[in-house]
Amino acid sequence: MWKNLCEKMFGRSLWVYHANSGGCNGCDIEVLNVLTPYYDVERFGIKLVGSPRHADVMLCQGPAMRSTGQALKRAYEAMPAPKLVFAIGSCACGGGVWFDSYSVLGPVEKVVPVNYYIPGCPPRPEAIIYGVAVALGLVDKKVAPVEFKQVEFPIPIYHPGDLRRENGMVVYEKVERV
Amino acid sequence: MSVLSKLEETLICLKAGRVTLAYPAQAEATPENFRGRPIFDATKCVGCAGCANNCPAREILVFDLCQEIRILQYLGRRCTYCGRCADVCPEKAITMSREFENATNRIADMGQKLDLFMSTCQRCGRCFKGAAALDELKMKGYRSDDIAHERWVYGAHSFMESEPAADDIQIELD
Amino acid sequence: MSSVIWRIVGGVLNVGIVLLVAPLGQGVLRKVTARVQSRQGPPLWQPYFDLLKLLGKEDIESGETPRMQRFAAYLSLATVLAVACLVPMGFASPMNGAADIILLIYLLTLCGICTLLAGLAAGSTYSLVGASREMMSMIALEPVFAIALIVGALHTGSFRLDTVLNGSVYGTAGVPWSGLIMLAVMILSFQAFVQRVPFDISEAETELMEGPLMEYSGPKLALFKYAQMAKLVIYSALFVRMFVPWGAGFTFPLAGLVFWAMFWAKVAVVVLVVTLVAATHARYRIDQAIRFFAGMFAAALGALVLASYGY
Repeated sequence: MWKNLCEKMFGRSLWVYHANSGGCNGCDIEVLNVLTPYYDVERFGIKLVGSPRHADVMLCQGPAMRSTGQALKRAYEAMPAPKLVFAIGSCACGGGVWFDSYSVLGPVEKVVPVNYYIPGCPPRPEAIIYGVAVALGLVDKKVAPVEFKQVEFPIPIYHPGDLRRENGMVVYEKVERV
Repeated sequence: MSVLSKLEETLICLKAGRVTLAYPAQAEATPENFRGRPIFDATKCVGCAGCANNCPAREILVFDLCQEIRILQYLGRRCTYCGRCADVCPEKAITMSREFENATNRIADMGQKLDLFMSTCQRCGRCFKGAAALDELKMKGYRSDDIAHERWVYGAHSFMESEPAADDIQIELD
Repeated sequence: MSSVIWRIVGGVLNVGIVLLVAPLGQGVLRKVTARVQSRQGPPLWQPYFDLLKLLGKEDIESGETPRMQRFAAYLSLATVLAVACLVPMGFASPMNGAADIILLIYLLTLCGICTLLAGLAAGSTYSLVGASREMMSMIALEPVFAIALIVGALHTGSFRLDTVLNGSVYGTAGVPWSGLIMLAVMILSFQAFVQRVPFDISEAETELMEGPLMEYSGPKLALFKYAQMAKLVIYSALFVRMFVPWGAGFTFPLAGLVFWAMFWAKVAVVVLVVTLVAATHARYRIDQAIRFFAGMFAAALGALVLASYGY
C-alpha cells in the first residue's frame, strides 16, 4: 500500500536537475523562463535542485560533447531510480546543426537513455511545459510520423517496349504503364 | 536592511496579483510570424531537393528509388526551425506551421516521408536541364542519401562508412 | 503512576502534532513565497507529496562512510522529535519534571551537529565546504539561544522547563532591559535558527549544490527534509513560549482550548513573518553572516550581564 502511494506521488512532485553538456545556453534560458512567475511550473510541484542525487528528472540540453560525455553519463548514474531524462532542444534530440563537428559525439541519447524529446531551437516555454504534461500523462502527444505515397501517377509514361511500328508510324499501345 | 523598502517590494508584488498563465489548461495565441514545425505538402512538391541542399542541419534526405521515384525524408530530430527550406522551395510546398507542441517519447514521430513521382526527360530519363549554369553545377543526377541509417551522404566525406567522424572515443566509467 | 502515563501520552501527542503540522508549515512558506513573487505556487499539501515521493526512491549509498550517513539521517529527525517532547505546545510540557533547560540546550545543539555529521560522512568536496560553513555559523549562533534561556533562568532562579519557558526573560520589576534586548536579538537572528534565507548558508542550493545534504537520496533525504520542516515549528513554538506567552489567565470554561488555539495562532504568525522575510531578502555571504552573528552575540552577552545584576 505504501509503495503504491509513493509511486503515485512521483508524478505530483518531480525534482529536476539541469544538465547542459555543451549547448549554446538558448535552451537554458528557456528552461529558466519556465521557472519564472509567468509560466510558473512550480504549481505542478516541480522544483529545481542542485544535486543529481536529489533529482527525479534530468533535463539535458546541448549535444553530448567529447569533453562532457562522461560527466553526463556520471550524472545520470548518480540519479536514484525511478528516473526520467528529457532531451530539450534540437541539439539534445539529434545533435542540432553541430552534429558533424569535431568535438560533438552526437545527440544525448548516445550517452544516456532518453525518455522524452522536446524539439525546438529553442523550444518555447509552453512547449517545455507541454512536454512535461505529456510525461505526466495529462495530455496526449500531438505529433505522429507522416508518410505520403504517391498512388496516382500524373503523367503518362511511354516505355520503349510498348511501341510498335505500323505502316511507317510509331504507335503506342498502352497509355499508362509504369 | 531597511524594513520599509522590503515592505514596499512585497506590496508591489502582491498588487500585481497572479501573473501565471494558465497553460496547459488554456492555450495562448502564438505570434504572427512564429516559425513552428515545417509541414511538407506532397501534392505541390516537385522533388527538386532544393530544401535538402539548403538545410543547415542536413535533416532532409533524398533517395532515388528508380528513374521515376524519389523519396524525400524529413527527419525532425535536429531541425532548428530556421525556415530556409520554406524560403527556397520554388513551389511553396513547405509551410512553417505554428505548431510548437512537439514533445514526444519517440523521436521518429517527427519524421515526414514523401514518395514522389518524378517526371523524367524523355531522352536521358534523368532530371531536366537547369535554367542557369549554377543550377547545373548543383544537379548531380541520382541522389542516394542513406535512408536506412538516416545519414546524409551527398557531397560529404565524413559520413562514409569507412571514415567515422570520431573513432577514438570510448565512453566508460572508472 | 498515572502521571507517568499522562506524560508519555503528552509526549507522543506532541511528537504527533509536530509530525503532522511540520510539512504544512513548509507548504504555507512556499505558497506565501510564491504569492509574494506574483505567481501561483504549489498547492499547500506539496511537502507531503515530496516526502512520500522521496520515500519511494532508491537509496543510493555513496560517500565515505555509509553507516555514519545512516546514523546522521536517523539522528537528525530523532533529536528534533526529542525536542518536541520537551517543548510545551499549548499545554504543559510533557517532560516537565524529567528534564530541564540544560537538556533543551544540548538537544538543540545536537540538532545542529547532525548537519555537520551529514556533511562529514558524505565526504565530497561540496559537502565538506558546507559542513565547514555550518560549523562557523553554529559556533556563532547556538550561544545566542542558550543565553536567552539562561537569562530566563537567572530571572526566575530555576532551570525547570515550565518556569523558564513562560516568558521569564522579562523578569519581575521595572523595565525588563535584558528581556527587551534578548527579544530584539532573537527576532533578528531567528532566520538562522530555522535555516531560511538570508541565513541558510550551509544549504545554499545554487552556491554549493545543496551542501552537506548533497550525497543523500531517497528515504534518508526525506528524514533530513522532515527534520528541517519540524525545526521551523519547534523553534517558533519555543520563541512564542519564551517571548509572547500571554493568554493563560482566562477563567471562562474551555480556557485551555482557547489558550491552545491562541498558541497555534501565534506560531502561525511567526511562520508567516519568517516567510515574508525569507521571500524578500537575499542570502548573506558567510563572512557577512559571521560578522552579524558576532554583533548579536555581543548584545546577548550584554543582556546576560544586565540580567545578572537584576535588570
